[in-house]
Amino acid sequence: MNADGRELEALADAPLDMLDLEVLRRLDALVDAVDPVPAGLVERIGIALTVEALHAEVAELHLVGEAAGAVRADETSIEAGTITFTTDVLTVMVSVHPEGDRLRVDGWAAPAGLLTVELHQHGDVVVTSSNADGRFSFSDVERGPARFVLRRPAEPTVPIVTPQIEL
Amino acid sequence: MMSDEVVGPVEAGLRDQEQGLALRAAHAVLAYRAGDRAPLAELVEVMTPLLWHTVRAQGADPEQAQDVVQNVWLTLVRDIETIRDPRATLQWMLVTARRAAWRTVRRSRDELVRQQQDETVTDWLAAPLDQLPDVVAVRDERDRALWRHVRELPERCRQLLGLVATVDRPDYAVVSRSLGMPVGSIGPTRGRCLAKLRQALTSDPTWSLV
Repeated sequence: MNADGRELEALADAPLDMLDLEVLRRLDALVDAVDPVPAGLVERIGIALTVEALHAEVAELHLVGEAAGAVRADETSIEAGTITFTTDVLTVMVSVHPEGDRLRVDGWAAPAGLLTVELHQHGDVVVTSSNADGRFSFSDVERGPARFVLRRPAEPTVPIVTPQIEL
Repeated sequence: MMSDEVVGPVEAGLRDQEQGLALRAAHAVLAYRAGDRAPLAELVEVMTPLLWHTVRAQGADPEQAQDVVQNVWLTLVRDIETIRDPRATLQWMLVTARRAAWRTVRRSRDELVRQQQDETVTDWLAAPLDQLPDVVAVRDERDRALWRHVRELPERCRQLLGLVATVDRPDYAVVSRSLGMPVGSIGPTRGRCLAKLRQALTSDPTWSLV
């Protein structure tokens, strides 16, 4: 074994020191800069896990019209105007209006009736209720991937979950 | 109860941080089974970067890698009742991610061969610095030297060091093991990959002079 090889063996068998940790710390920053985790990935996984947790009880809605479902944040956002979801038991229409940097989301569910409506976004949940006409609204909403979960008073444990859309 | 053996109720979060991702994952699995989904949601945040780099290191493109990482999490939740030793969760997820990435990459390579195109396999952490899209993180000559020498390491060492760098000390062994590297590849001793890098850096004047 030559001198370099012996030196390498000695280095390899020695315990980690402060300089090693500094090297790894710098490398971590470089790896993150060179190959960053895509924006929105953590949020999308969070939403997918939320839906998965509800899965046994989910009536999946189908999107009618514009194919805005399952849009990734790294693709061009679809400026959602009006989107309609439908299942056997419920039809939901959602329209999105810009308000400065934020959004207002107006919705209408039929057949008309009181519903609990949850907006799942970035791992957070905002809850509102529809009025007797089936209308509901969320203001001060951030742009990004989102999903609605609607619960009927008659069957509170069977939520209706929409596909993910890009607001 | 099992959860008391792994993480006590007092200051569990703080101890998790000191004891690394493996223990946080164990705690999250046990909590999830007990009906508390919050620790798993936190785990997604702190562990997704490691999974991302693990999958990218296998050569998956960004689009594929996002699907693979999301599927690893979904698989964990679907199989969560069947995990026998929650302390092995991190290792299991890393191995699952690596295999899934490898399958995805192999499929798309087959596809490329069928279409008679050139292979465009990502060689992880091997791009020259001036070709990188974002070199903002390169603060000084030391970073430049470090990157140059990392690029020159054998692929296995690049993978090991790049992934170990992403985690804290308690998880070095799990990351090494999940790459099929011998236990103790890094920590408590330096191991051959880090030793090679140290040797290269020490003999590089741009690194040692600063």
